[in-house]
Amino acid sequence: MVVKQETKSMTGNDACSYAALFAKPDVIAAYPITPQTTIVENLSRFVDEGKLEAEFVIVESEHSALAACMGAAWSGVRTFTATSSQGLLYMAENVFWTGYGRLPIIMPVVNRCLAPGWNIWPDYQDSMAFRDAGWIQMYTKNNQEVFDTTLQAFKITESKDIALPSMPCLDGFVISHTTGQVDLPDPEDAFEFVGPYDDPVIALDVENPWAYGSMTGPAQYSKNRRDLIVAMERAKKKIVDVHKEFEEYFGRSYGNGLVEPYGDDEADLTLVTLGTIGDEAHEAIDRLKAEGHSVNALRVRTFRPFPIEDIVEFAKKNHKLVVIDRAASFGHEGPLRIEVEAVLKRHNVDTSVSGKIMGLGGEDVPYSAIIDLAKKELKE
Amino acid sequence: MPVTQKDLMIKPKDALLKGHFACAGCGSALAFRHAIGSVADKAVLVVPASCASVYQGSGKGVAFNVPTINTAFAASDAVASGISRALKKKGKDDLKVIVWGGDGSAADIGIATEIGACDRQENILHVMYSNNVYGNTGGQRSGDTMIGARTTTTPKGNTTPRKMVPFIMMANNARYVATASSAYLEDFVEKFQKALSFEGFKFIQIDISCPPNWRSDSALSIEISRLGVQTGIWPLFEWDRETNTAVLSRPGKKYGDKANRKPISDWTSLQGRFRGITDEELIALEKDTERQWNFIRKFM
Repeated sequence: MVVKQETKSMTGNDACSYAALFAKPDVIAAYPITPQTTIVENLSRFVDEGKLEAEFVIVESEHSALAACMGAAWSGVRTFTATSSQGLLYMAENVFWTGYGRLPIIMPVVNRCLAPGWNIWPDYQDSMAFRDAGWIQMYTKNNQEVFDTTLQAFKITESKDIALPSMPCLDGFVISHTTGQVDLPDPEDAFEFVGPYDDPVIALDVENPWAYGSMTGPAQYSKNRRDLIVAMERAKKKIVDVHKEFEEYFGRSYGNGLVEPYGDDEADLTLVTLGTIGDEAHEAIDRLKAEGHSVNALRVRTFRPFPIEDIVEFAKKNHKLVVIDRAASFGHEGPLRIEVEAVLKRHNVDTSVSGKIMGLGGEDVPYSAIIDLAKKELKE
Repeated sequence: MPVTQKDLMIKPKDALLKGHFACAGCGSALAFRHAIGSVADKAVLVVPASCASVYQGSGKGVAFNVPTINTAFAASDAVASGISRALKKKGKDDLKVIVWGGDGSAADIGIATEIGACDRQENILHVMYSNNVYGNTGGQRSGDTMIGARTTTTPKGNTTPRKMVPFIMMANNARYVATASSAYLEDFVEKFQKALSFEGFKFIQIDISCPPNWRSDSALSIEISRLGVQTGIWPLFEWDRETNTAVLSRPGKKYGDKANRKPISDWTSLQGRFRGITDEELIALEKDTERQWNFIRKFM
């Protein structure tokens, strides 16, 4: 039975902070950066008002924000932080340390482009730089999905058989500072879904001391990384399972949790997207269909682990994929396009793939721009 | 309570087991054994990239007999903050969170993190073991390198004075700050335990001999460190925030008076890192030593 929920209007950052509040993290560490700041401002207020019993560590840098979360995670408690852009880059070595160390930390990234020049608007260059850091990455399309994904992330990340940190991604300003509709459950119901973190993935113990991260030879090191590869593979099923369980609790779903298709199963043209552009694409498709065009869409919700099978299956039924990237791999194409193309080639799917990099540095991507792109591609 | 030599032998358990990789004559491993050993049943260690990340040993043969978290170079005091907060949340704040790292992290790359933890009054103790050089990477100059020392990045001799990290921590309102020497272990362990009795951020800098980088005879490690104190190069003191008073420590007290000190060359002549040191450099080193004593005297 779906639990009672109340429709509220709030920003994406508010939705993110409510998900964190309801999951009751024990330790939160954070440093201000636009556009992430209001998430941790909300959380510090919750702590001050006594709504959340957590240790709030007001650190002197993002490097230390994640480091403090790492210390807390090693101690076996639930941890949370959030960041953006330069802040994410500043904590870089700890991002990899967390992923490769399999530390169960939840860190939403409010996507913002990278300097120079100074620009606070969204693109995915920041989180894409951490594709290989061993984190689960999920890109959200609206405020509701931010709440839902953040809540799901705790359950996925803290599973003993997964033990991978999660980076829910939300577009700066387009989601973070834009008010939208969010159906909010009672805190108790949300916490029941997440569950307490009483069987931690890891917890230091003076009775049974161990050293974490000492010198490790090639044989053990490569085994550790291979374990990570396998855990990422397992995470696909976990994401689907947790997403399904979430749907039973709260009555909402996003495809199967890995990818979210939109429109007909088969079309002349398929738009492949990430994040808010995926939502904007719905409007474009409805209008294109009204004009008699055959266009559908596939939004990649989970970017790491990469939903290879789901993309292959969808592509098999379709004829031409156009991948819209909100980031660039300079010297190559957009990162999503590169990966989609590679996956199809490897699975001998001859559906053609093209792509366009759009929306860098907050450049607006309205449905009209997506319609123009689709029409151009339909002609070619 | 004064710690005696007999006290050093009584430990809850051995903190440094066989199989460690420390060099012969390493003052850091010696200091570790006695200080961490004295609280081995309740210590949680955080080790930044440093010699201790190597001499703790490897794989199943790790020689540190207490929970040990290895961190990135600049991350240790922030990781320790997170551990301390998590333990507080779990009601386990009887455990002692200790950062054990060298001068590269404490004086240079990790100093912002350290001051951050100090500023927040995190309940941790940072022990900075000083060999005045990046030892692990082959002996490059650090902010803690003394005037006249030949390092692999200052082959003609270092020209700048030491960055005095204890003074920086005093200025940032640490709860307790002390210096120590691996030649005077009773004094060190006494300060170590005293520090752990306080709530808040505590800091101890300990001079530790380093035969490979000091290019000295490992058999003379203790003697060289003792000479460091006797020549006045290494002032031994402790400072308490509540009284804002610096007190010279028993083993080093009389060297506050210049007349009682041995010549600095007694200390430099036993170390290859000072081979070829000029008279001008020796004078500059002596002048910088006096600068440190003068700073301490302001709090006496």
